[in-house]
Order: sequence, then C-alpha cells, then structure tokens
Amino acid sequence: MTRQKRSHHKLKRAVAPYLYLSPSLLIIGLLMLLPMVTVIAYSFQNSAVLRRDPSFAGLKHYQAIFDDPVFWASLWHTLYFTCMSVIFHMTIGMVFALMLNSDRINPTLRNILRVLYILPWLFTAVIIAVIWRLLLEPNGVVNSILMQIGIIGSKVEWFSSPETALHAVTFANIWAGYPLFMVSLLAGLQGIPKDFYEAADIDGAKAYQKLIFITIPQLMPIIISISLLDFIWTMQVFPLIWITTGGGPIYSTEVLSTYTYKLAFSSYNLSQASASAVVILLISLGLTLFYIRYQKAR
Amino acid sequence: MAEVVLENICKTYGNNFHAIDQLNLSVEDGEFLILVGPSGCGKSTALRMIAGLEDVTSGSLRIGGVDVVDMPPKDRDIAMVFQSYALYPHMTVFENIAFSMRLAGKPKAVRKKRVDEIAKTLQLTSLLDSKPANLSGGQRQRVAMGRAMVREPAAFLMDEPLSNLDAKLRVQMRAEITSLQKQLGVTTIYVTHDQTEAMTMGDRVAVLKGGVLQQVDTPKRLYESPVNAFVAGFIGSPSMNLFEATLTGDELMSGALAIRLQDAAFVRRPGLRSYAGRKVVFGIRPEDLYDSSLESGRKYQTIPARVTSIEELGSEHIVHLNIDAVRVDSGDPDAVQDFGLASNAVAKFEPVSTVLSGSEIRVALDDAKLHFFDPETHLTI
Repeated sequence: MTRQKRSHHKLKRAVAPYLYLSPSLLIIGLLMLLPMVTVIAYSFQNSAVLRRDPSFAGLKHYQAIFDDPVFWASLWHTLYFTCMSVIFHMTIGMVFALMLNSDRINPTLRNILRVLYILPWLFTAVIIAVIWRLLLEPNGVVNSILMQIGIIGSKVEWFSSPETALHAVTFANIWAGYPLFMVSLLAGLQGIPKDFYEAADIDGAKAYQKLIFITIPQLMPIIISISLLDFIWTMQVFPLIWITTGGGPIYSTEVLSTYTYKLAFSSYNLSQASASAVVILLISLGLTLFYIRYQKAR
Repeated sequence: MAEVVLENICKTYGNNFHAIDQLNLSVEDGEFLILVGPSGCGKSTALRMIAGLEDVTSGSLRIGGVDVVDMPPKDRDIAMVFQSYALYPHMTVFENIAFSMRLAGKPKAVRKKRVDEIAKTLQLTSLLDSKPANLSGGQRQRVAMGRAMVREPAAFLMDEPLSNLDAKLRVQMRAEITSLQKQLGVTTIYVTHDQTEAMTMGDRVAVLKGGVLQQVDTPKRLYESPVNAFVAGFIGSPSMNLFEATLTGDELMSGALAIRLQDAAFVRRPGLRSYAGRKVVFGIRPEDLYDSSLESGRKYQTIPARVTSIEELGSEHIVHLNIDAVRVDSGDPDAVQDFGLASNAVAKFEPVSTVLSGSEIRVALDDAKLHFFDPETHLTI
C-alpha cells in the first residue's frame, strides 16, 4: 500500500464514526442545541425577538430578575415543590413497592393493588390537574370527606388560598409521580437475592434491621439515580401548576417555569424570560452533571 | 456443639408434592454428615428445614436435645453457609463476618477481637477491608465460613458451598473445610450432589432419592455394600454398570454373555440361590473390569465387548463399551450421562492399555466384586 493510500484509509477510519453519528447529532443540534444557544443569546440582548436589531444588554436582565422578589419567591417555591415531591415520591414509592413485593399479601390482592398503585402514571399532566381541581374544589369530595370526619371545620379553598395552594399543588404532583419510584424500586427489590434475607434470618435480624442493613443499601443505586432524575424533571414541571393555580394566588405557587412563562408570554419581556430560563438551565445542568458523575462512579 | 436428630420428618408442599418422606437421621455431636443425592432429591429441603428456613410438615427435629420445629432460625443455634455464599456486597469482609454480632448488639471491641481471631484462622486478615466483589471465589467461600464460625454455633449447615468454584479450587477447599471441621469439632451437615465430595469429606454419608433416605453409612461401606441399585449407581465415578441377566445354575446368562459365579458368591448371599432360573440385576464397578491382555486382567474370566470410545486421563483410561446385555437404570438421573449413545458399560483400564476405539475385545471381570439386586425392588440380594 502506498503512503497516500494508507493515509486515505486512515482518514476514512477516523471520519467513519462521526458519519454514523451525524444524523442524530444534526437532530440534537437543531432541536436542542440551537434553541439553547439562541435563548442564551437572547438573555444578553435588549428587546430580544421583538426588535430586528437588538442591542447588547450585558448582564442587565440577570440583574433585573435577581432584583425581582417574585423570582426569589419562585425559586423558593420551586425548591419546596421539588424537594417535597422527591422525598414523598421516594417514601410512598418505597412503601408501595415493599407491599407489592411482600409474600404476606394475598397474590390476588397484590395484583389489584399493583394496578391501582400504577394508575396515576396513566394520566397526562392535564388530566391530573383537572382531576385534582375537581377533587379539591371548595365543594369537592376532599372537603366533604375531611369535614365529615372532623379534620376541618369549614370548606378550605385549597388552590385559592395562599396558605394552602403550594401544598395542594405539591400534593397533586406527589400523587402523580410516585409510580416511577414504585416500579423502579419494585424491580430492584425483586433483584435482591433471597439468600441475603435468609442469612439475616439465621443471624437474628429483625424486619427493620433487614430493611436498614440489606434492602436499603441494595436499593441505594436505584434510589440515588431515580431521585436525581426526579429532581431534574420535577424542577421543570409546568402544566400541572399552570392549570391548577396558574402560579397564584398572589404568586404563592409561582415556580421558575411559570415565572419564566409569564415573563415571556404575558409581559412579552423575552429577554428577561430568557435570563430566567438560563438560570433554570444552569441549575438543571448542575444536577445533570452530578447525576452523570454518579453514574460514572458506579 | 450438639447432636442433630430428625425423626419421621415430612415436607409436603401445597401442590401435594412430598419433598421429604419420613426422614429419620441422627447426626452425632461433632460428626461431619454429608447429605447427598441427585437434583430434586430433597437434600437442600432437609437442610433448610433444619435451619428453620422451611416449615416442617410433620415429625420431630431436635438440636442439642431441644425440639426446634417451632423455633425461628435465629434461636436454633445453627449457622449456615449458602451455595451463593450470601455475602452482602455493600459490606466489607469485616462487616460481613461481624454482622450477626452487630445485630446482637455486641460492643465494637468484642466484635473486632472475634473477627480478628477468625480472620487469622481463615487467612483473611489482609482482606478485612475489601468488599466481596474484589475477592476470588475461594476467598468468598472463606468469608462465608467465617460468618458461620463467628456465631460459635451448635451445628454448621452447608448447602453445596463448593459448587461455584472451579474444579482445582474445589479440591483445595474440600480439604480446607474438612480440616477446619476437625479442628473446630462442630457438628456439620453438608449438602452436595457431588459424590466425590460426599466420599472424601464426611464421616458418614446419607443418600437421598425422591425425598426418601436410602442409606446412611460410612463412605467405604456405601461403596462396598450399597443397600440398593440406586446407591450402587450413585456412589462411585463412573457409576456402577448394572445389567439384567438370568441366573442359570452357577451362571449369569444374558444374550451372548455368560458369567460363571464362584461358590463364594452364593455363600455370601444365601438369597441368591432363590433366583435360580429367574431374572436378576447384577452390577460391576468400572474399576473391577480389566483389560484381559494385561497382567492385571489375566486371572479373571472374560466377556466379549466392543470399545465405543476411550477417554485417556493420563492416570487411567475410561473405556466406553458395548456389552451384549440389557443395561438397567439405577434411577440416578445423572448416571445416564456416563454412557455414550452406543455404549452400555464403562470400564477403568490402566494407562498402559492399548485397546482401540471400535475394536472387539475381551474384558476381564472380577466376579468376586459383583453386586446383585432384585429386578423388581432393586434391593441388594
């Protein structure tokens, strides 16, 4: 083989992997990277989108949103909403997964519970929002039951009261999201060798000790992975909050996604909206990097 | 240390499957008893019942004189080594060995002292901070042993603990477990399907088939005096050759085969005479068949056979033969694998044997080593 032929062959070998990757890279570039770069660019422009020749604004829009108390309230609401959702998704998912994995429950009942527990996963965010709006209406079923059993004395406006609205949307989101944990943990539980529990029985472990010393450590990789993913996804939840409360009343359920949406499509301040979106992007990116590092470490 | 006694133990599952039927077994204090049998014979079920991991349907089970049938596993004063070792992958070797003491709330200093002692005995000291994933098969096996030893139990229960090891390591670990058991003097019940382990490790061997105990005896007596064709076929490798023949006068006749029996055969087995003119099952171990062309085989009578294949192992030749006789199945599902498609007998010849595959030869047979079984019941005559 001549030197020219050899270098041609080498080049072909080097380029081939990129040619195989190019269709997906092109799609990702067009659908994800380009909008992302555009939004970042908008966040540094005055009157982005609205003017043909927007001027450079520097960090002005970032300054503006950081000076806005509603942004900080939204950030706090987002953290509360996300943290509570992830914690309860995990707790409820774990309890239900343990129930479904238990030999003590009758197999028929277990199958019925399996279907019931997974139901929230079948509904879209819009349907979930509508269901909970109906259930939590002042004249809805929840108020009626709580009054009958004496927990509340008068009708509570769950989504309309600033004191309860954030808890109510968080509750609806918890209900909607636990099946992911439940299914993942159930799969994990079924993968734990029975021998571990039998060895622990012989060693004298009580039920709670088996949970602490065997079950949870064995499920830890799943718990961490799913928690991180759930954190990233929950932080970006928009339709559920938008349909139930629209971020109100008086910003009490305003989260970063609704705050950004309002800036963009209610105030038409697309530059500030872009700056807010970039903040969300940075937080998500930080968590994603943490997730990737954790996966690599495993 | 304690005696383990099983009396009329039965285990029936929900689908009316009798896994264990009327098992009576007494394991003496400090004894090493092997439970052996083919897959599905109930040996692991029996062990798990002793451990308390399976309920006993009926019967009595005593460990150290205490009836433990209704006791949870932790109160039975036993320790178990599992086939998979059941080592917790998220714990270090130290934590695995110390786990039972941690559950019992023993102080850290006590745990450390005891684990260090055991690690020294098992040569695990340098591995105490390692996780099981970083250990070799033999090391994991030793950690599993350490976890059992730390409890200082009345009895060790071992469920095929060597089956995950390669052949070479298995031989080494076999010796290690045997010497450790002798050193500790703890009553040990060891389940295996490998009859080499059964013959080399235990003081006594209990052979199970279909949930029924066939024979409990020393390895030597099991080999020399099996109570039935199943035990005869199961103990020994390759398995004993079993054939059907008619006892005509002093001769066993089957097809072109005629084996003359010495008077001693009838003296040793007075019942054999009653089979005159009837069918009988006879058995001969592969090591009691000889190449008639060699010195070792010259003193015995010979029978015709065709060599179907030869496995040269260096120290011996495993010769697969076709003999003009109807082979009898001992009831051991694993024994079938010893026979090739065209062969119905196996012989162990000396390595100097020059027989060739496909050749017609005469095989010398030590008729004093013949075993006889009833053709209906397969019980030893």
